[in-house]
Amino acid sequence: MSSKKMALLALLVSIVSPISQAQIKHIEMRVEGMT
Amino acid sequence: MKQHLGRQSGVQNVEVSLLDGKAQVTPKDDGQIDPVQLLKATYDSGVTAAEMDMTARGKIVKDSSGSFALQVEPNRSFALTPNELSKGLEALADTETMVTVRGQLYKKAAGKKKADPSVPLKLLILEVSKKE
Repeated sequence: MSSKKMALLALLVSIVSPISQAQIKHIEMRVEGMT
Repeated sequence: MKQHLGRQSGVQNVEVSLLDGKAQVTPKDDGQIDPVQLLKATYDSGVTAAEMDMTARGKIVKDSSGSFALQVEPNRSFALTPNELSKGLEALADTETMVTVRGQLYKKAAGKKKADPSVPLKLLILEVSKKE
């Protein structure tokens, strides 16, 4: 792979990765009426 | 209830504790889970959700109206209920800094049985665990 393509790939990863790492990690609910 | 929640998209695991009346939901690795759908599924299973807390990682963004939100997916963000902790994060708005927070997404209003799905969930930050 040419260095130009590598640089482009690195740029794309740096743009996309912060959002792809964003996520809901855990949800906890308190509920009523459960039997 | 466990089955109802487990059927929702993005849910990897559900643990329900009858003793303390709590349900723990672990999303899949992609984190593509919809808290509104979880609330709806909870009601569909015949119980009332009194409170929903969420731990999430995302970016602080500022919308066109000047309100701050936590963006957890490219197309999903939760408006922040202003408090001391959210004010401390405002400087990070529209930067690349990722924050991990724990907060309250929903609390049942007194006298109400069911959440109004037309009201968007707002995140009241209770703890900021990481900034990176």
